Amino acid sequence: MARSVTRPGASRRRFLKTGLSLSAAAIAPTVIPGSALGLDGTIPPSERVVLGGIGIGNRGTYDLGCFLEQNDVQFTAICDVKENRRVGIKKMADEKYGNESCAMYQDFRELLDRSDIDAVLIATGPNWHTTASVYAAKAGKDIYCEKPCSKNIDQSLLLRDTIRRTGRVFQAGTQRRNLPHFAFACELARTGRLGKMKRVFAHPAGMTASTSGWLPAENEPPKEVIDWNMYLGPAAWRPFNAKLLDGFNFEKGGGLVGGGVLEWGSHCVDLCQWAVNDCPPPVAYAPPVDGQIVCTYDDGVELIFREKDWIPLGSCPVRFEGEDGWVEAGDSGKLVLSSPELLAGRTVEEIGGYPATFHVRDFLDCVKTRGKPKGNADAACNAHIACHAANVALFLGRPVKFDNATNAFVDDVEANRLRSEALREPWRI
Amino acid sequence: MLNASLFRRLALAATVTALLVSVPTRSIHAQSPDAGDKAKAALAVLRSDAAEADKALACKQLAIYGSADAVPELAKLLDNERLHSWARTGLEAIPGPEADAALRSAAATLSGNLLVGTLNTIGVRKDAGALQILTQRLGDRDPEVASAAAVALGHVGTLPAISALKAALPRANGALQSAVAEGCILAAEGLLAAGKTTDAIALFDEVRKAPVPAQRKLEATRGAILARGDDGAALLVEQLQSPEQSVFRLGLSTAREVKPGKCDTALVAELSKLPANRAALLLRALADRKSPAAVEALVAAAAKGSKETRLAALESLGAAGNASALAVLLEGAVDADADLAKAATGSISSLSGAEVDAEIKKRLPAASGKLLPMLLELVGQRRIDAIPPALAAVDSADPATRAAALAALGNIVDVERLPVLVAQVVKPRDDADAANAKKALLTAAIRMPDREACAAAVTGPLATAPAPAKQVLLETLGQVGGTKALAAVAAAAKNGDDAQKDVASRLLGEWMTADAAPVLLDLSKSLAEDKYRGRAIRGFIRIARQFKLEQAERSKMAVAAFAATKTPAERKLVLEVARRYPDIEMLKLAAKAGAEEEIKPEARIAAAAIVKKLPEESAEAYALAKGLGLEKVKLEIVKATFGAGDRQKDVTDVVRKNAGSLALIFIPGDNFNKVFGGDPAPGAEKHLTIDYTIDGKAGTAKIGENGTILLPTP
Repeated sequence: MARSVTRPGASRRRFLKTGLSLSAAAIAPTVIPGSALGLDGTIPPSERVVLGGIGIGNRGTYDLGCFLEQNDVQFTAICDVKENRRVGIKKMADEKYGNESCAMYQDFRELLDRSDIDAVLIATGPNWHTTASVYAAKAGKDIYCEKPCSKNIDQSLLLRDTIRRTGRVFQAGTQRRNLPHFAFACELARTGRLGKMKRVFAHPAGMTASTSGWLPAENEPPKEVIDWNMYLGPAAWRPFNAKLLDGFNFEKGGGLVGGGVLEWGSHCVDLCQWAVNDCPPPVAYAPPVDGQIVCTYDDGVELIFREKDWIPLGSCPVRFEGEDGWVEAGDSGKLVLSSPELLAGRTVEEIGGYPATFHVRDFLDCVKTRGKPKGNADAACNAHIACHAANVALFLGRPVKFDNATNAFVDDVEANRLRSEALREPWRI
Repeated sequence: MLNASLFRRLALAATVTALLVSVPTRSIHAQSPDAGDKAKAALAVLRSDAAEADKALACKQLAIYGSADAVPELAKLLDNERLHSWARTGLEAIPGPEADAALRSAAATLSGNLLVGTLNTIGVRKDAGALQILTQRLGDRDPEVASAAAVALGHVGTLPAISALKAALPRANGALQSAVAEGCILAAEGLLAAGKTTDAIALFDEVRKAPVPAQRKLEATRGAILARGDDGAALLVEQLQSPEQSVFRLGLSTAREVKPGKCDTALVAELSKLPANRAALLLRALADRKSPAAVEALVAAAAKGSKETRLAALESLGAAGNASALAVLLEGAVDADADLAKAATGSISSLSGAEVDAEIKKRLPAASGKLLPMLLELVGQRRIDAIPPALAAVDSADPATRAAALAALGNIVDVERLPVLVAQVVKPRDDADAANAKKALLTAAIRMPDREACAAAVTGPLATAPAPAKQVLLETLGQVGGTKALAAVAAAAKNGDDAQKDVASRLLGEWMTADAAPVLLDLSKSLAEDKYRGRAIRGFIRIARQFKLEQAERSKMAVAAFAATKTPAERKLVLEVARRYPDIEMLKLAAKAGAEEEIKPEARIAAAAIVKKLPEESAEAYALAKGLGLEKVKLEIVKATFGAGDRQKDVTDVVRKNAGSLALIFIPGDNFNKVFGGDPAPGAEKHLTIDYTIDGKAGTAKIGENGTILLPTP
């Protein structure tokens, strides 16, 4: 191997500054040019993607902002169980369009019934992600859904199968797939430039399982203000408690296994999966040892959840190691290579702050071409299964083996019972 | 039907796994050692008058650890609106006929949402024994109930279940219409997975022809196409010809799913029949297929046709194409239409394969005009071994060709021929060539595996090169690193003219390896010019602060640095190193620094931080701290808050964690807002208020934002 980079940040910056390249070779977010989609200049109504929003909180507002930047998007309806959010998003949309036409709904099924809506942005808490996505797909809508997209292994599979069956376009909110430095890192691994792959590393941002549980009852607000029944949705019933209204953490992962490596893993493992060519998830998972969960793919490559020892490249770091080299990347937009040779004369655009703009554009292009976006349901399914299975090993405190042919754990009834959870009535996926 | 006792024995022996729902077909080896206890405890909770919250969580425990004996207790909760789904969590997971029987029984008596949930769970369990109740509920007056039954029948997927669904298909209406169609599609997928392709196709077709919602028809059509395999080509093409956009779109997505074969031929044939906008979209679908027929069609479409289709083909060939696409892409890259040229250029860059490289190399000698710089650009991008033609192009009369040749050489030249680029730097034809040669040399230098050989090639003409070139050569050496490069840059810093000293001292200050430390220390003592001397000592301190070193070596460097400093600002930097890497030597250094009034505050903070981090209580350490006016005390932090007015944040834990046996507390971090996890009162003047005891006496200190935390003795 050529000399390694011992001082990552500065060295890599140098590579990028001095890595001479021609513009055509630059690795930048790839989107299908508007010209190819008949998008020159003004956008005819027939070319607009009519969008509705379901559960638009903090993250959703950011995502929606990325959609509204696109001139071929017409945001037309908001559904949220919280009145203040419904009103806030309507105001945002109406100000953008200079009218009062953004419709508000409390029940997303009414929004899905509208035949004029092509696609939905789902940014509820994780509790709703799969269920709302499945309902949207069955209603013939394309879907951009925030991550984590599923609460357990069976939901991951059902979501994938539903998207296939319905022929819908699905983009998981794994926007790092459309950022050039992460894409380049994955490309190095995928195309053999690092040699035979040995290990891929993901940062889980926590390995503690959590459950939302059942908190003491508090006075339930009027349904118009917060529709508690719809907020709970597919989650088992419990009395209203304002502490549970943080959709971001409510029933994340569901059941007793919630949280764990899923929150950040659904980003970092997703990138690791891309690095190994979106192959089926690992087949063996060990509980944590020295802050690491080691999982093994069918071909012996290891997926390692690691809390520490990262080069400081920002949040959501990943590292891919092959026999001939390695690459590490993070949310700063920077990456570090074992050798500048790996850059091969190319310039990788540094985009820090993990914006979703390119991911949103990728989704909209695929809505029109019916291609598969980068964060498609198949890719998301594999990455989520890897996270859920690691959580199962974490919860049970013992190694588990997973059979990708049967989508079941091998010789482990307890692990298999953690693959799914009943949905509260009347919800069905 | 197996009785419970027999079932349990058989389940343990793993011989009736066909009856287990969602459980792999092998024996059950792995089990938590306390699984039985957990199940027992959870069951006891259900049997008690425990609160609903406890019963809910007990249901979840039973979902993992429970067995048939938990079923009756769980079943009792099925008519409880609050605990119904918790109970189903258990019943859905527990294998065996007991749970199936309990759910069937509940499905006969429940109504409304509770019945819907129960039917959903029967569906998840694929309980073929529930046919009777599901068929009965399919006719329920409540459309939600009937719909749940329809989907559950689809999951069950047995022939009698399918018969029930088929019977309902023509007469269902409203929401049930959709659910019956969904059930049929699920069942058809099950048939297909079981190898009953003909039956699956028939069922898909039946849904397609039934009065069901458009989306269900699309799903059935997709299933019908995929199930037919090669014979699905006609049906696929039919979708592409539909005037309905949703149907055409289904055709596009299904075109990406069908297996290679006759469908490829049919899809390609369809290209010429579709209007341009649709053909362009079909080309993109073909590109995703990447079959030989698809690539051939893309190459043809890239060569001629409407702009819309040419553009789609040119853009798609980058990912889908191979060497066969190179000719049309090169042609497109010099097209007068800027959009087409851009698309072609982009695709050439991402076209993969060794054959593509060989083809580019083959075309290079005969190339001229716009094509030559383009091929050179590709040579560089793709690292194609084509040094002789690239070298020849450096002498071209065309500036664009020279620029492309230099850039290419930067990416491909080897160390033996590196002097060619050095010569271009030393004696460029014009300013543009000078800039291009500089870039190329830097690119080449940082990728050379043998950096000493590289440095030798770059150092050779250093003495005789003109001034601007000398700077470029020094910059290049700075990128290369290594022994020879370090020596050459050090010599320039010491003995060069002012311009060289400027460049060289800057490069050394940013040197990437610790072997620059002695050079920097030497320069800090020998350079007369304060600007360059300052760079040298700061560069030396930087190595002590940032690089991976043995602690003893770092301490020695800190001591040496302190001795070589000339200004208080420089000495403060050394104290920062001491604070970050505590040991007794660093503490001695801080104690010594404390004698200088201007840096005494920093010395005290460093001392406090070091004493806190030293692994063992040391009398010597406290004696040194005492010399700085920091007495050893018994300090306890009672409470600490940070903020303004009533906007206070409790930061007791952070302060407590950083407090030691001195009254001065150092908390690592840039400022209070960061170390205390956010600004509790944006825009307001904030204070850190600490209630504490020193040697048993209570005191309160109010410290201004980002101030030194020195607690007065009460």
